[in-house]
Amino acid sequence: MNHFPEAWGRPRDDVYGAYNHSYLQTSGPKTHTMSPAVTGTSVVGIKFNGGVALATDNLASYGSLARFTDVKRLRVFGNQAVVGFGGDVSDMQYIDRLLESIDIRENYSTHGNMLNAKNLHTYLAKVFYKRRSEFNPLWNHVLVAGFDGEGKPFLSSADLLGTTFSAPHLATGFGAHLAVPILRRLFPDEKPIEEVTREQAVSALKDCLKVLFYRDARSLDKYSIAVITQEGIDLKEDEQLESQSWAFAERIKGYGAQTN
Amino acid sequence: MTSLMDHPSRGETIGYSFSQPTAAPVKEHSFYPYTDNGGSTLGITGSDFAILAGDTRSTSGYNINSRMVPKVFKIGGDDETGEGAHILLSVVGFAADGNALKERLDTVVKMYKYQHGKSMSVGACAQRLSTILYQKRFFPYYVHAILAGLDEEGKGALYSYDPVGSYEREQCRAAGAASSLIMPFLDNQVNFKNQYIPGSGEGHALEPKKAEPLPQETVKQLVRDAFTSAVERHIEVGDHLQVMIITKDGVEEVYHPLKKD
Amino acid sequence: MDKLVAQYSRPSHQNEFYSEQEQQDLSESTPPLSLKFNLPPVDNSSAFLRAMTDDHSNPSCPIKLAHGTTTLSFRFQGGIIVCTDSRATAGNWIASQTVKKVIPVSRLSRGEDKPTNEPTPGLLGTMAGGAADCQYWLRYLSQQCTLHEIRHKRRITVAAASKILANLTYAYKGYGLSMGTMLAGMTPQEGPALYYIDSDGTRLPGNLFCVGSGQTFAYGVLDAEYRYDLTEREALDLGRRAILAAMHRDAYSGGFINLYHVKEEGWVHHGFDDMNPIFWKTKLDHGEFSNVTSEL
Repeated sequence: MNHFPEAWGRPRDDVYGAYNHSYLQTSGPKTHTMSPAVTGTSVVGIKFNGGVALATDNLASYGSLARFTDVKRLRVFGNQAVVGFGGDVSDMQYIDRLLESIDIRENYSTHGNMLNAKNLHTYLAKVFYKRRSEFNPLWNHVLVAGFDGEGKPFLSSADLLGTTFSAPHLATGFGAHLAVPILRRLFPDEKPIEEVTREQAVSALKDCLKVLFYRDARSLDKYSIAVITQEGIDLKEDEQLESQSWAFAERIKGYGAQTN
Repeated sequence: MTSLMDHPSRGETIGYSFSQPTAAPVKEHSFYPYTDNGGSTLGITGSDFAILAGDTRSTSGYNINSRMVPKVFKIGGDDETGEGAHILLSVVGFAADGNALKERLDTVVKMYKYQHGKSMSVGACAQRLSTILYQKRFFPYYVHAILAGLDEEGKGALYSYDPVGSYEREQCRAAGAASSLIMPFLDNQVNFKNQYIPGSGEGHALEPKKAEPLPQETVKQLVRDAFTSAVERHIEVGDHLQVMIITKDGVEEVYHPLKKD
Repeated sequence: MDKLVAQYSRPSHQNEFYSEQEQQDLSESTPPLSLKFNLPPVDNSSAFLRAMTDDHSNPSCPIKLAHGTTTLSFRFQGGIIVCTDSRATAGNWIASQTVKKVIPVSRLSRGEDKPTNEPTPGLLGTMAGGAADCQYWLRYLSQQCTLHEIRHKRRITVAAASKILANLTYAYKGYGLSMGTMLAGMTPQEGPALYYIDSDGTRLPGNLFCVGSGQTFAYGVLDAEYRYDLTEREALDLGRRAILAAMHRDAYSGGFINLYHVKEEGWVHHGFDDMNPIFWKTKLDHGEFSNVTSEL
């Protein structure tokens, strides 16, 4: 006990040792990247009238190295759901196996696989949350796209902490900074998703991927895109970004050797 | 307390480490299991109702994740929509913990009804929530919870919690990012703190105004005013206001727009 | 052996979800009697907990718990006086001004006590330090006391009850609990009995204790005026006055004065009163607190 009344009843250094800041990440550089090795960057998704579209590029980076250039980060589950993965690729592959075993198990039931995208998202979020509670996280941020139980388009996000949220358009990683503003401008809140056509959605996703490729150093111009409608899933995995214009690049000043 | 009296101070003049992380040891942990998803919640009770409200913004850092993530939930309803629920819970802080807590309490209330053949009283639910939170005393749920319902006499009941389960029945409570903006307003408008009866005396004889339960319409307006003001001054609050009102007739849920900047 | 084979013959991801037992634990509608606490899966869990919750060492820690208090109680010829403030702070934020820091430890009337002059049988516990720790463990103690009453057909002694609590806090020593509590009660075996128990595992019988951040201020008043042969009126006034002094000088104490008297038949509640009018009355009528001007 000392004469500082505010210290009363607090953990004392002679019992607990000095206060250890290393458990908090508020000070010092973020060490998030310490654990994941091979990573994928943004996932972008958008709802439109009658379905959902989801896109990622095909790159898996090893730190700053563009290590694998044809890694498919969209995974089809059943016949009406797609999961887009950002973050650690080995954890993505683990979840992939997990989803496969669930798909197989569900298909043995009398009805076949009845899990829709909403069910799948709930499950994945719980897996993420359980792992974070064990301090053994699956280092991913995923978007789940498909349909909910009422047959309405469904798009929702889950991350390594188990945090979940959904919105008419979502993007993970760098996309949360670069793609979301584009999507919010193209499809403002006042515009219901019924007024967004499939073509508009797909072209918006391509625009987003293009901007991401311009500015995200961990991205690629080869990408995958999935369009989920009631008719089924249209998945294209070897697309190439078109009509790029690097004209803006010469106006960039202040980096590297170019100083004025 | 005697054991605390004579411990020798360590090195420094006082035996506590202060905020400067000067000698922080080398990091070994790279995983931080919490995040703050922002937002604010607010509950006020009256003589025959309780109101629980929250904004619907979800943030991480300076990013807005989504503009429509409700924070107020019906507990112990008959189906997925929460129909037939007679208890409300709001959670603010780390959303994943909040969800886990909500689902756990919901399950507990449903199991109680299944096992006992009657609905759980709000008082019992309040205490059970406290023990649920305390079970994670050493690895807390990073949430500020508020529970609302009607007590056995039909009066509005509101219980507020700290992250590890200390709780108290109150007239009103604000929690979350803008709690420090809303709570002083509530003290003044709901409990009439620092309001005096004009002309009741001079100087020290001036009588303070007595708090009394407010009518529902007044409370609804207070809730909306509290949030529109909080939105003006806090970046993590905005988008929509979700308001749930519980009366003897059941739960009514309404959404109001808030500023989206 | 079967377990070992099963572990390696099945892919690890089949264990991904909650086990049956875990799911059952999550849905129990009554809390378990055995003490099950989730510990963070890190090497040094108390250091983790402290990093998250010690807002004194690190004001920007993420989880701020309710803290701070002045509580006192003392024995005198007419029983025991228990008096507390009602403020709870989380960092510099006043989390509540209406905390009930005197917790009845008995099967009867554990909820809100109604104003009545009828004594209620049972013990009283006070709450200082972590609010949740005190509430939870005094609730646990209530349960144990009730079980004792059922098993032995007589009320538990204060000595035994305080020992249950002290054994518990000692068992959890080093985990990061924070509580300083006083147990007051009167039993035929002991007469008026008062014990101090804290989260280090200390358990002391005594005549007079003040606990909490404002304890020094309360001791100052109490030691000056305390006699064992105080009348009931004098004792109640002294308890109130000592808490008032602490509320005035300790920033972490304030709100309402919560006053109890433990008698042979049980405890009596003597009000939960706003300190502000009492302060001005004390100053203007008795000329105390002359450090404060009476001008408005």
